[in-house]
Amino acid sequence: MTDDARNKGSDSTRRSFLKASTALTGAALAGVPGLADAQSPSKKHPKRGGTLRFGTREDTIGLDTHRNIIYFVSTPLTGITGGLVDFDDKMQPKPAVAESWEASKDLQTWTFKLRRGAEYHNGQTIDAESVKWNIERIKDPKIGHAFTRSVLADVERVTVDDKHTVQFHLKDPHAALDINLIYYPVNLMSPGAVDTADTHPVNCGPFKFKTWRRLDVTELVRFENFWETDSEGNNLPYLDGLVGRPKKEDRVRLTALRTNEVDLIDNVAYADAPAFKKDHGRTFDTWPVPQVGTAMMYFNLKNGLLSEKDNPDAHLLRQAIAHAIDHEGIHQAVFNGIGEISKGFYSSASPWHVKDIEGWPKFDLDKAKALRKKAKGGDEKFTIIANDTFPYMQQSGELVHAMLKDAGFNAVLEILPGPVMLEKQNKGDYNIDSTANSYRLDPDGWYGRNILSTAPETRRRNGYKNEKADQIILAARKEGDRAKRRQMYADVETLVNRDLPMLYTHFVPLMMASNKARVKGYNVSYSGPWSYTGAGMRRTWIEG
Amino acid sequence: MLAYTLRRIAQLVPVLLVLTVAVFGFVEALPGSVLDTLIGTEGGDDAETREILAKEYGLDRPVHERYAKWLVRTVQFDFGNSLVTRRPISLELMSRIPATVYLATVGIMLSMMIAIPLGTLAAVRRNSAIDYTAQVTSLAGISIPEFWFAILCVLLFSLYLGWLPSSGYVSPFEDFWGSLQFLILPAAAIGFRQAAFTTRLTRSSMLDELSKEYVDTARALGHSERKVIFKYTLRNAMIPTITISGLQLANLLGGTVVLESIFAWPGIGRAIFEAILQRDYPLIQAGVLVLGCIVVVMNLLVDLTYRLLNPRVKFA
Repeated sequence: MTDDARNKGSDSTRRSFLKASTALTGAALAGVPGLADAQSPSKKHPKRGGTLRFGTREDTIGLDTHRNIIYFVSTPLTGITGGLVDFDDKMQPKPAVAESWEASKDLQTWTFKLRRGAEYHNGQTIDAESVKWNIERIKDPKIGHAFTRSVLADVERVTVDDKHTVQFHLKDPHAALDINLIYYPVNLMSPGAVDTADTHPVNCGPFKFKTWRRLDVTELVRFENFWETDSEGNNLPYLDGLVGRPKKEDRVRLTALRTNEVDLIDNVAYADAPAFKKDHGRTFDTWPVPQVGTAMMYFNLKNGLLSEKDNPDAHLLRQAIAHAIDHEGIHQAVFNGIGEISKGFYSSASPWHVKDIEGWPKFDLDKAKALRKKAKGGDEKFTIIANDTFPYMQQSGELVHAMLKDAGFNAVLEILPGPVMLEKQNKGDYNIDSTANSYRLDPDGWYGRNILSTAPETRRRNGYKNEKADQIILAARKEGDRAKRRQMYADVETLVNRDLPMLYTHFVPLMMASNKARVKGYNVSYSGPWSYTGAGMRRTWIEG
Repeated sequence: MLAYTLRRIAQLVPVLLVLTVAVFGFVEALPGSVLDTLIGTEGGDDAETREILAKEYGLDRPVHERYAKWLVRTVQFDFGNSLVTRRPISLELMSRIPATVYLATVGIMLSMMIAIPLGTLAAVRRNSAIDYTAQVTSLAGISIPEFWFAILCVLLFSLYLGWLPSSGYVSPFEDFWGSLQFLILPAAAIGFRQAAFTTRLTRSSMLDELSKEYVDTARALGHSERKVIFKYTLRNAMIPTITISGLQLANLLGGTVVLESIFAWPGIGRAIFEAILQRDYPLIQAGVLVLGCIVVVMNLLVDLTYRLLNPRVKFA
């Protein structure tokens, strides 16, 4: 492994944060003090068997797991995926298809030793050539999903040392390639089955593909030759199969759980979570996930009223906007008091959280009004956009729109579908975007891809540039000491909260719920039930 | 009759051609591009990737060229592949149409089974308790939003009584009796609302027919009331009912997106809705075109049914 000292050094911090976060989030979700209800997976002896029925908000849009984003939390198809590296309940990288790995001193060459005997679902051996083929396929802009490709942006080439050794050669040093390979998943599929990738994918995860009808059903069955075993040497996963039932509406999903039509659901609505836990806690386990993402107001700095390029008082206007936004109002009205208000990208439940970040300008309506009057363009019309897919983005947008109106801003709100949002972002045809970004296991996944001025996403979306922030982010990539890295990113957050290219608003929590009598051994982490050594869906079984 | 039918079918050709132009034009005019969806976020909006993908999916060609190509393929029933799922569109549609047809047909049949007897009875026994009951019930059916009624049904029959599943779908070809369990609630939600409209229509149509001279003549000739109502009056009164029910059925085939969401029913309405969200042009075009064809064909069938109900109807 690359950095044992680093991993060991952070263990205590991570344990404490997980304990604290589970307690805090569980308490927040319940509205009462104490821990979440979910039973410890270790208390009952596991049994092999059963088919788990999983009700999800989302479904995959296609079967080729390189071409489509495979959202860990909500996509049943994730069960077929597997990769070089997994993580554990402390979110440490753990061996998966790669048994061990190490980085060169300059962090530009990473060598992965593959597990002998690991197979794809069709029996093909997972060898170095097939890993190379997978990485090259994902990096192909005609094929690989942009998000997964961005993980591999620094990978210049992959070489095969021998049948079980593969090397990643990077353009620039990177301390977190191993972690970035987990999320979003750089997953491996059988080169021999590439022709059926869109109709019958053959991967190497704990479950094999059986059938899929979009927005109807995903059926998976246990992969008997999955590499992982439990402490007694029994093959994992325990489940015989998994049936995904996408049900987009939150209350439809919750009703299906209560009527025993599904065993496990994701995304209990914020409005329902406290009452559900209180009223049905005896029958259903609940699984709080403290932070699946971070919500924010993104400002367009590429052009327009809030950009220094077009308005010399743009920063003053952004400060006025920040003073007009009541974070507590968003916390209560949008998130129903669940989770935390965010001052940076990482919540108190994360190992990357730092307390002493200099926060954003505090809510002060009078100050907001005064700054707006003082700034050039304070009376001009500007546009807030929000994606219609995620209720909290839309509701935050509506609330911020009302708050800005209170401060005398001439703001208009547009709730738009995804493709129109993307088009507006690309063209810079907006001023504020009510949005969110998913949790990143390593901070470079956020700062290096969304704050660094040269990153494609920063350039595409808001054009923020701060040379000092850039220097810190690039230096952090090469820094092996975790504590130092954490402080470096905290320094970047302070710059962000001063410059205001975006205004962090709230962490996005999530609650899963399961049938207590049937679902046993289940546990969940930040990214839901998958890629999770020693827990998650692999260690779940069905009782009765 | 045969000549009329053939003439009507021939008239469908220009209608369908206009429909293809409208469908293609509408999809082209949608703001946002499938390229944005395919490129996504974090990959950057670099021109090179955009160009590669545009070429890959044929989106670099002029609109008229793409329309011509699409039309030629469409008339051969080759809709191509979805840009998003990359699976054949015919497969995508064929996996959805049976579920929608199943739900819409049973929903309409249910509505007619309620509406025709109730509307007829209300007209025959005008101003009686049964008439008032039928009118109040149908007014309630029209006033109550379909989705709200559906949610009430789920609460009562699934959550509290536990008689029926709250959502989901089983194909009747896989398990017919099992599929009925999942069908009852959504079909009832559709049937109740459609029955409200049809009951009122049947009642007013029957009242209209009952006031006509031929009814008095039939009664004067000594025919039984049952024969007067069912053999003579009802058949004539059915013409507007059949017309409306046919159009309702055509509407339902594409317009049950909300109910499909509530009952997690994998119908074509949701498939097209999702395709619009993804800007999956070929899937939207094929889906809307298929629905348009269904409406046109339903209209034709309704017209032809008039003759079956009343042989005196002459086709010009």
